Amino acid sequence: MMRHYSALALLRARIAGHAFWKPLWTGRALREAYDVVVVGAGGHGLATAFHLARDHGLRRVAVLEKRLVGYGNVGRNTTIVRSNYLLPENHYFYEDALRRWETLSRDLNYNVMYSPRGVVDLALSDDDMPGLARRGNAMRLAGIDAELLDLPALEHYVPELQPRCARRFPILGALVQHRGGTVRHDAVAWGYARAASALGVDIIEDCEVTGVETAGGIATGVQTTRGRVRAERIVFATAGHTAMIGTMLGVPLPVETHLLQAMVSEPIKPLLRRVLVYVAPGHGETYLCQSDRGGLVMGGHLDGFPSYTREGRWDRLEDVVQGALQVVPQIGAVRILRHWAGTNDMTMDGSPIIDRIRYDNVFLNAGWCYGGFKAIPASGAACARLVATGTAPDLIRAFRLSRFATGHLLDEPGYGPFPVRL
Amino acid sequence: MRRLDCPFCGARELHEFRFHKSLPAPQAAATQYQRVYERVGSLTHSEEHWQHLLGCRAWLRVSRNPSNGDVLEVVLLGADLP
Repeated sequence: MMRHYSALALLRARIAGHAFWKPLWTGRALREAYDVVVVGAGGHGLATAFHLARDHGLRRVAVLEKRLVGYGNVGRNTTIVRSNYLLPENHYFYEDALRRWETLSRDLNYNVMYSPRGVVDLALSDDDMPGLARRGNAMRLAGIDAELLDLPALEHYVPELQPRCARRFPILGALVQHRGGTVRHDAVAWGYARAASALGVDIIEDCEVTGVETAGGIATGVQTTRGRVRAERIVFATAGHTAMIGTMLGVPLPVETHLLQAMVSEPIKPLLRRVLVYVAPGHGETYLCQSDRGGLVMGGHLDGFPSYTREGRWDRLEDVVQGALQVVPQIGAVRILRHWAGTNDMTMDGSPIIDRIRYDNVFLNAGWCYGGFKAIPASGAACARLVATGTAPDLIRAFRLSRFATGHLLDEPGYGPFPVRL
Repeated sequence: MRRLDCPFCGARELHEFRFHKSLPAPQAAATQYQRVYERVGSLTHSEEHWQHLLGCRAWLRVSRNPSNGDVLEVVLLGADLP
């Protein structure tokens, strides 16, 4: 039975000592048959299972995970949430996610530490400002908060940046989304797992799905390293290994798997209040923020070629650091503490796929590119609705797999059918 | 994976090269959709187009193992054409 967390519960835990705390989700045995089998216990898989159980009343739901809950990208991102996208299909969807982030701690009864500290997209060139203004205008037309700041306003909003300070590429202004910010990423995986488990979802770790069983044109179950499991519906939410799911199902997907690196510095005293995002001239996309523990969390562009190694390129790490130093030179003496990479399922237009795949009762939740973490709450709710009712909600109608063949791409980056352009 | 062997320039640092795209399975490249969008989902083998951008600018066909970064073969693109 799940313990309800509250101020009173904390007080009781203080008195009772650590014996009060119980495992967040219970280790249940794998059953023979389920209504829905979700493959992949990352953010999207767990959120889908949670919404299937809570919103649609499905009681026989399993989440099968090859390794551990939260081993993949949900624990490997830079924890940023925002909805500042240009295309309507994307910004409405991510805005739905951001609204859910705002209330997620309450919905899950688990503190995911949503911190709306403001996402600041900096302009470092004359070209950047009109681009940011256009994106901001598109967002405001959709009712999403966005504010274009000139230099004095930016100085007021992020004084620690000292934007007027001489730099090789001076800061000209910024687009700010005030409700954007960060969320404690591991807590998202744990919170969803705990809430789903409390609703009766079986979370089975160390259980790799190796194949799909079919009969009469529909899928009937999955083969796993722990034996066969019958399932009426199957959802794949396997992020970096999505391309392998395509191979398993005999449907080559418009997906390439690339590495994205992130790193965190040693903890330092509070320096940076906001999340900074910008294109550093010569070094590409750079984003950095300071974690609650004090470490500077930094990330950059993709490594630039397909890889499953989860080992980042050193020259890209250097790029990210130099990009960070261009704008925040005062961190030059700070040391990198940890550095890691996640495998990203990059689609050919930079937008996700939530759709049926090959069989009427097999669903794919994939192609999240760099946007997977911030999408989790909306993706889980929408995907669960598609799986439970058979109809895709309007929010994800544009994310269908067939859009590549029919030419209805959601080409947010706007550089054609490539997952990466360096 | 630290270097690539350019057929003209020899072993060079990776940052000189630019990855362009990974290729669909040859037998699958029938329709335009397949040629442009589909990719091979394999943990062990990837056929790719690269360019030695900051070197001789030659276009290359690279076979790699994306799970450990081993480079299996680098040939000049089109060298196999008659």
